[in-house]
Amino acid sequence: MSGSVRSSAGLVWHHQRLLWWIFAINLALAWLGSLPVRATLSAVLDRSLESSKLVAGFDVSTLVLLMERPEVQMRSLAPGAMSATAIFLLVMLMMDGGVICELLEDRRLSGADFVASCTTFFGRMARLAGYSLVPFGLLIAGGAAVGAYADKLSDNAPQERLGFYVNVASRLMLVLVALLLRLWFDLAQARVVHGEERSVLRSLRRSFKMTFCSGLYAQYFGIAVFAAASMAVGTWLWATLPHGAMGASFVVLELVTVVQIASRLWMKAASARWVALQTP
Amino acid sequence: MEIRGWRSWLIAVAGLLITLLMANGKARSATLLAPTPLSDRVVAYQIAGRYDAKTHTLDATELLTYTNKTGVPLDRFPFHLYLNAFQPKSTWMTEAERSGQRDSEKGAGWEDKHFGSNEVKSLEIVGEGDLTKQMKFISPDDGNADDRTVFEIAPPKPLEPGGQIQFRIHFVAKFPEVVARTGYKRDFLMAGQWFPKVGVWWNGAWNCHQFHANTEFFADFGTFDVKLTLPAKWNVGSSGVQTGAKDNGDGTQTVNFHAEDIHDFAWTASPETKVMEDSIELRGHTVKIRMLMAPGHMASAPRYMQALKGTMRRFDEWIGAYPYPQITVVDPPHGAGAAGGMEYPTLITADTTWWLPKSVLASEMVVEHEFGHQYWYGMVATNEFENAWMDEGINQYMEAKVMDSMYGETTSNLNSRLGTLSERGVDLMSYAMVADRDPLSRPAWLFENSESYGGISYSKTALMMLTLESVVGEKTVLHGLHEYFERYKFKHPTPGEFTAAMNEAAGQNLDWYWKQTIYGTETLDDRILSASSERVDWYSTQDEKKGVTVYHNEVVVHRRGTFDLPVVLEAKFDDGSEVRERWDGKDRWHRFSWDRKSKLVSAEVDPDHGYWLDRDPFNNSWTAEEDGRATGKLAGYWTLLTQWLEQWASWLA
Repeated sequence: MSGSVRSSAGLVWHHQRLLWWIFAINLALAWLGSLPVRATLSAVLDRSLESSKLVAGFDVSTLVLLMERPEVQMRSLAPGAMSATAIFLLVMLMMDGGVICELLEDRRLSGADFVASCTTFFGRMARLAGYSLVPFGLLIAGGAAVGAYADKLSDNAPQERLGFYVNVASRLMLVLVALLLRLWFDLAQARVVHGEERSVLRSLRRSFKMTFCSGLYAQYFGIAVFAAASMAVGTWLWATLPHGAMGASFVVLELVTVVQIASRLWMKAASARWVALQTP
Repeated sequence: MEIRGWRSWLIAVAGLLITLLMANGKARSATLLAPTPLSDRVVAYQIAGRYDAKTHTLDATELLTYTNKTGVPLDRFPFHLYLNAFQPKSTWMTEAERSGQRDSEKGAGWEDKHFGSNEVKSLEIVGEGDLTKQMKFISPDDGNADDRTVFEIAPPKPLEPGGQIQFRIHFVAKFPEVVARTGYKRDFLMAGQWFPKVGVWWNGAWNCHQFHANTEFFADFGTFDVKLTLPAKWNVGSSGVQTGAKDNGDGTQTVNFHAEDIHDFAWTASPETKVMEDSIELRGHTVKIRMLMAPGHMASAPRYMQALKGTMRRFDEWIGAYPYPQITVVDPPHGAGAAGGMEYPTLITADTTWWLPKSVLASEMVVEHEFGHQYWYGMVATNEFENAWMDEGINQYMEAKVMDSMYGETTSNLNSRLGTLSERGVDLMSYAMVADRDPLSRPAWLFENSESYGGISYSKTALMMLTLESVVGEKTVLHGLHEYFERYKFKHPTPGEFTAAMNEAAGQNLDWYWKQTIYGTETLDDRILSASSERVDWYSTQDEKKGVTVYHNEVVVHRRGTFDLPVVLEAKFDDGSEVRERWDGKDRWHRFSWDRKSKLVSAEVDPDHGYWLDRDPFNNSWTAEEDGRATGKLAGYWTLLTQWLEQWASWLA
């Protein structure tokens, strides 16, 4: 298995332009989404000595008082972030065909080929995403129900920590099942592109069995652990930086983001490679 | 032989007497400090009860001896039955449902487990017979006929001044699952407001309000002798001190408590509690510290202890002596948070959680706050129904002073690498949202909602006192509080008596200040409306020369709020010089101007940052140069959060 992990990691490495493209889009959209925030904050902070409490340190009450101001209400600033998120999802769905095609064929596609793959498979990728809402929705609903049960346990069970442990365990299970679902849909995506299958439902049916037989779940789990660990290390590193070191802080946090995007690409590479090997 | 026998008997009797006297002396020194009563003891409660842990009920008999020290005949007596508040149609529940309260959101709904009651089975006036049928529930505040938190009884003949009356009341207290600082959780019980308690004759009338969602308590000083029968091996803590305990041999134990010069009595019991004991030396006497910890919270015990001792020392030094022999700290277990953070005379409840990081000073803050109440609620004993700020607010100010002194002024609430939070910052956050909604002088149940009650009663008072430091000086404010405490402890003072004491300590009439802060809803928001540096010879065609060209520097300060307070402005110039000027703050705006060979770099009102009542600190200053670092930092974090949100959403792709 370690060989498979290494080769899928190698695939990401060889096609790292995909990673940088996705990262650039991710950052650009988020930056555009934050422009209203920047303008609003600038009007309040840039000529106020009070802003020093957020530079030399991070005074929580200063932040809260800032957010209590009518012009800095979350509900007026959130639409920018929400729009950026929706656009990014759409762009990812559009890029999926090209990305998977390049990973499956393990060759650098020309711009025209990449765009052609994107447009060819966009509809099918969008339908797959739509279908994925069903199991993910059920999973979230199930998670909420278990969470409510855990809250009840926390309130009523004779052992005061039982509810807490049930809550932690259920959230862990939620992540594990979400990984399984993602593997299933990644395999379906790879099959759709590799076999140029028109019926995404058929792809889903066939991929379901493969999800359990492929042995890919362990890889997905390992990649998720790697992503979580890198996030923890990055956050710790960021927390140790001085408050005034804003450049270094930006670099560290963006590196964490790059690793998160790389991890997701790594999963896609693993499933694409497996499909390519199984169905020549 | 006879003589010898007689002498032996005499010696034996003398020895026994001496032993008894010594034992009595020891017991006395363990329960009392002052040889004479500290308070004007009006009530003496003797209560004996048996607690049923399965039904969470206490079947008890109370003998209340009331001494008429009012100077007028009393023809009726109102009593509180606080536990009846925990019923669906009560005023407390209705208000909590409509406006929220400390532990529940507005619209939280009714749950049967929160049912509580105080049922009076019989009421007798000793020597006058049974008067149970003459008990009458009254609702002096809102006329709610379904509220049963106050009843009154009229004795057959009025109680003359100086006379005594005894009420013997058989009652059953049914505790709710913990709500509003009283009740059970699993096998933990915090028994607060559990017995019929007589009202207070205050300012020429009975003062006995219904229990409201935002109100606390008011009662007369006296003595308490309480005898409780509970399951054996349960650890018990209470107000006052424990004076005896015996195992009844039937799976129960009976524990006796005694307390003097307090106005309420609370107790707690649990089989799980771990008891820790320590002591502290204060002004020549030792105070025993008894801490009852939930087993899951043992890591917080040293934090509680350190905060408590630090607080006790500071109050002892700044405000006055703690005269009681003991302080008991109760740590409610997980799930019983509604019992946490509460004060009773000589007993406080703390609050914590598992694995609370050391940088989060919540546990310390709660212990500090609740101990502070021993002075304002406990000894000064103001009317919390009508003047909540005189206890909660003054205590909140002391919380800021004590916590700042122990943990640093900017880090007294949170001291993490990621961020900091001060006590003053917490108060400002809480106050700024509700600054003009209610005056401090409003009775607690008439506030707009629980948010306004908290932001005004607690935080505005604290900020009022902190701002007062800028007017008369920190030492004067603390000295004033010390004088006020010494003069009015055990006296139930009014707001007027507080302000008079503070005026006297300050050596000036501060009524203009109290009028705006206590009785009014004026808000303070001074801001720099505009600032500029223009050449005096604006018509000149010559280039500007640093140190040669003369500029007309101008700053306009706008009194945006309605609060009338002198304004200090500090202006800094590009040659390194600075000036401070004062404006009486009477008009709506004022123009400051300086013609000099330097340009303005910055201008700031309240440069010493002492006007904590100013609800908007961002507009207090102006800089010539823009500094985008704070904006960059926050916008950067916002960008990052958006990036991560994008990634989570793309999990679907």
